[in-house]
Amino acid sequence: MASASIPAYNSVSPLENRSSQNASRESLKMELLADVTLLPGEERIIGKDIIYMCPFNGALKGKVFITNYRLYFRSVDTDPVMTLNVPLGVIGRVEKMGGASSRGENSYGLDITCKDMRNLRFALKQEGHSRRDIFDILFKYAFPVSHSLTMFAYMSQEKYEENGWNVYKPMEEFRRQGLPNDKWRITFINQSYELCDTYPTILAVPFKASDEDLKKVASFRSRGRIPVLSWIHRENQAVICRCSQPLVGMSGKRNKDDERYLDVIREANGTAKLTIYDARPSVNAVANKATGGGYEGDDAYQNAELVFLDIHNIHVMRESLKKLKDIVFPIVEDSHWLSSLESTHWLEHIKLVISGAIQVADKISGGNSVIVHCSDGWDRTAQLTSLAMLMLDSHYRTLRGFQVLLEKEWISFGHKFASRIGHGDKNYADQDRSPIFVQFIDCVWQMTKQFPTAFEFNERLLITILDHLFSCRFGTFLYNCESVRDTNEVRTKTVSLWSLVNSEASTYQNPFYTPECSRVLYPVASMRHLELWVSYYIRWNPRIRQQQQSPVEQRYMELLALRDEYLKKLEELQLTDSSPNSSHLSNSSTPNATSPTQHITHLHTPL
Amino acid sequence: MPESPYTDAMEFSEHIKTGNVEDVVLRRPFHQPTKGTLCVTGHHLIFSDRDGHNSQPFLLLIRNIDAIDKSVENLLGYSKLFSSTGPSQRFDISVTPCVPSASSGTITLKCKDLCVLQLDIPGMEECLNIASSIESLSSLETASEMYPFFHRPAGLVLQDKWGLSSTEQDYAGMKELHDRWRLSYVNRDFSVCPSYPPAVIVPHSIDDETLLKVAKFRQGGRFPVLCYHHEKNGMVIMRSSQPLTGTNKKRCKEDELLLQAVIDGSDLGYIIDTRSPQQAQQARMTGGGFESKSNYSGWKRLNRQLERGKVLQESLIKLVEACGDSSHNVDRWLSKLENSKWLSHVQAALAAAGLLAECVERDGHSVLIHGTEGTDTTLLVSSLAQLILDPGSRTLAGFLSLLEREWVQAGHPFQQRCAHSAYSHTRLRHEAPVFVLLLDCVWQLGRQFPLAMGFSEPLLLRLAKEVYASDYGTFLCNSDQERCATGLKERTHCLFQSLLRPSERDLYSNPLFEPTELAIWPCVQPQSLQLWKGLFLRWTDDALHLKEAQEAIQNLVVECRRTLYDYIENIEDRELK
Repeated sequence: MASASIPAYNSVSPLENRSSQNASRESLKMELLADVTLLPGEERIIGKDIIYMCPFNGALKGKVFITNYRLYFRSVDTDPVMTLNVPLGVIGRVEKMGGASSRGENSYGLDITCKDMRNLRFALKQEGHSRRDIFDILFKYAFPVSHSLTMFAYMSQEKYEENGWNVYKPMEEFRRQGLPNDKWRITFINQSYELCDTYPTILAVPFKASDEDLKKVASFRSRGRIPVLSWIHRENQAVICRCSQPLVGMSGKRNKDDERYLDVIREANGTAKLTIYDARPSVNAVANKATGGGYEGDDAYQNAELVFLDIHNIHVMRESLKKLKDIVFPIVEDSHWLSSLESTHWLEHIKLVISGAIQVADKISGGNSVIVHCSDGWDRTAQLTSLAMLMLDSHYRTLRGFQVLLEKEWISFGHKFASRIGHGDKNYADQDRSPIFVQFIDCVWQMTKQFPTAFEFNERLLITILDHLFSCRFGTFLYNCESVRDTNEVRTKTVSLWSLVNSEASTYQNPFYTPECSRVLYPVASMRHLELWVSYYIRWNPRIRQQQQSPVEQRYMELLALRDEYLKKLEELQLTDSSPNSSHLSNSSTPNATSPTQHITHLHTPL
Repeated sequence: MPESPYTDAMEFSEHIKTGNVEDVVLRRPFHQPTKGTLCVTGHHLIFSDRDGHNSQPFLLLIRNIDAIDKSVENLLGYSKLFSSTGPSQRFDISVTPCVPSASSGTITLKCKDLCVLQLDIPGMEECLNIASSIESLSSLETASEMYPFFHRPAGLVLQDKWGLSSTEQDYAGMKELHDRWRLSYVNRDFSVCPSYPPAVIVPHSIDDETLLKVAKFRQGGRFPVLCYHHEKNGMVIMRSSQPLTGTNKKRCKEDELLLQAVIDGSDLGYIIDTRSPQQAQQARMTGGGFESKSNYSGWKRLNRQLERGKVLQESLIKLVEACGDSSHNVDRWLSKLENSKWLSHVQAALAAAGLLAECVERDGHSVLIHGTEGTDTTLLVSSLAQLILDPGSRTLAGFLSLLEREWVQAGHPFQQRCAHSAYSHTRLRHEAPVFVLLLDCVWQLGRQFPLAMGFSEPLLLRLAKEVYASDYGTFLCNSDQERCATGLKERTHCLFQSLLRPSERDLYSNPLFEPTELAIWPCVQPQSLQLWKGLFLRWTDDALHLKEAQEAIQNLVVECRRTLYDYIENIEDRELK
């Protein structure tokens, strides 16, 4: 456990001695041809000698392969062998670096900007337009949507034991929450996406509101995203409803149907005052009036209180993460680490999102229903409702429950994954891109750090989710909303990420998980207790110790495995003991007798 | 008034103006304000709950108080903050005694363990009297007047052995180096080096005559002595103070001889200087200096600048100030944390220790470490390096022995360094939180290697408190010489002995401990270091769920291990049959 990697205390140290590797050059070359295990449906397109300009180890000669799914690089003369395995979906931008006449070593090649906090740079020989074919291929296959090609998710032939598309069934989830009941009904009014084209087909709405009412409300809410139920508290019947901003506009329009509708939601559990959480800073909410939007005014909504949560918009978040990338890649800012980190404001944004969600969860625990919205109700709103639900409902903290939460609050309610991530799209500067979902997963990670026994899943799941958010290997995060997914037959023609995850569930399980059904989790949202997610944001830097799994967790897993092993052995012994014909036991016991003591020696505590 | 053992008021009666006040309200972190009786004794403030349902009175060592702020309010509601120098005469103290409740005062006690308490005292005069009594008592500086000389707990006998081991015992335990190293008693009467213990380990070939000359060439007489022997490859760590080369580059043949004897047989040794090259150069102007290449040909110098003294103390003050900011909107917290520079001191210390350990373990060379006086950063780096290298120093007893050997016996001037902590208004003299910095570094090690240490965070927290104010004599005085002069070892109890009693052991052991023979190399990048919240946010942030989760995880691991042992035992029993 101890010294896996030895950090250098002395950058110009005469003391560096590198561990030598036994694989010979010859065997490396053999491996090189065979070591890319292609996914079913993956096809190799090109292979080429290239130099990878590693920001940590300098120029590395090797070979790059490009398939319809990934870019794979393997060094030929380094010790140990260095590989890169980058799904093309991760690539945000490909540029040519230097020209045929550029001078200087390795100044001619390709610059690749990735969506996952790293950049890659390759150099080629300057003669004969050597980079043209690889650039063209990369550009085409990394951005299939811009070239009218199909995304890899549609070509994948992967087969899994479980079909992840069955993880989330809206009716089942509503039933789990105890719906429908006498106050809340399920409506199929959006069956063909006529009420709202970015909402799912099945919605839970107040029993007292007729489908006609819903249509009237839809006319007053941005893009028809009317307030619908996301979650209901089993005991006190308080609900979290989500929606978009009301279309108040400059003139301060009112809509009686909308006002009555919110009051019906309030009445459903006898809440005295309905709390409306507007995720935006109040200035932004006011400014939105100019473009026809706005917020619920005091006069119009007398039984409601409006609280602004001061969370900034997608543009601010995009710039913040960009700044964070600047200080962690390729060189980690060391001399003024903390103030540099502060100046990205990333943790401050995380704090605002978490503390907003805490307020929502707290209101609900207190028995008061809430409405959450921002402008369109698909970014900040999704963050707040899903985090609050994670705090309130232990089901969402299980491996499968978390999948349901994502499918429900993010995917089905139309978080615009395609626009925010830019799957297969070459327009890297698109203003619609923003790491809202990454930020949400970061918030979840913060919660798992503060409540290490409360979640069934581990950090690896979160990182896997983020990796496949970009990879385009699975259909899960493709497209902006359900209606577009239906048109593109995502469920029948692509594989779900949850197929992969649930087929190897043990990989993603937190060994310390201790279910506590009724516990509401209130994380500390103070800056003092938020941490940068180093093992995600700085994972490409080999100098930062990678501790995706804490030593304690690692050890506990080993102990659990040993315990099971010995339990089995013990049970076998008990069986043979009870059977009268056990003469062979004395023979087999001699070698066995030594092995437990071997295990004990390194387990034994001297205290 | 509560009875003994706390009523040693007799001997300190001239300092105590008011011994007892009723109806005092005590406010402290994480507790409801309580009303009760406050009593001042020679060494303690004792607060007894009026209802008496808290059977244990709240006890505060006056030594623990770093600063007092007081404010009084008279009949007119006119309030004023006094400076700590005393009450202003403008105040009419003779407020009619028939309405005592009309005037009152508040004393804020800022403690060296970073806790801040508040006492609301009815009656302005009482308040001022209490405050001045505390001020007077807390400024007593004679070691033998301090509480450890009066502390006589049940279950401990003064005749118990003081300390965990001695240089002689350490030497006896290292048989394999007896042919090259010897014990020297040249300092038996502390005349050669006042801050060294009577016995030290030096190269066999160097006689006491030579040592006398070397001592004259090293600041404070701190000639190079052995502090660690690395069994795996026979290399050693030596420590000393700076050589007194001065402006005219004085040499000392004996000093060169001694160091040559250390690396005898191998080609190279490293000298790690805890100052920058410039600082080492400048030290020559005031008579100090460094080992030049030409005179110490077998040695290679590496400079690793570590801050000390005032810079360190000010860093602690800034850090505590940032941590104590309890305003809800902690604005610019990360900048404030960075500006305190505390974490960069942690980083520098761990990096220097890592370098030292690297020289010894991976490069296979002996190392001499020193800075200026050899009593602060030198000890910090040498003890951290030992924790990295030596599994023996990572057990509870091993760690306490390390502290005793490398800090107490090695002459870290505890009394000077820990006279005041982060809140004190008095002008700084020799204060510096070097020991607290050590504890923080050890905490970082424990965080990065949660299974490798036999002791736990509560031990480090306890030590951080004891070093400033203690019932025990361990951290009193500045050197062994002073300890002998005051009869400390006969008249006080030893903290380390007490921590190893079975009842205490459990509190401070790491339940996850699984010893490893391997070196534990800490990561020192700023991204890998964290603020020691357990110490610095102890009184401001109540993140109870974090503590609970930590305990829950420990219990799971311990329980799993226990079941595993049971199975193994069971299997062995059956197989033996």
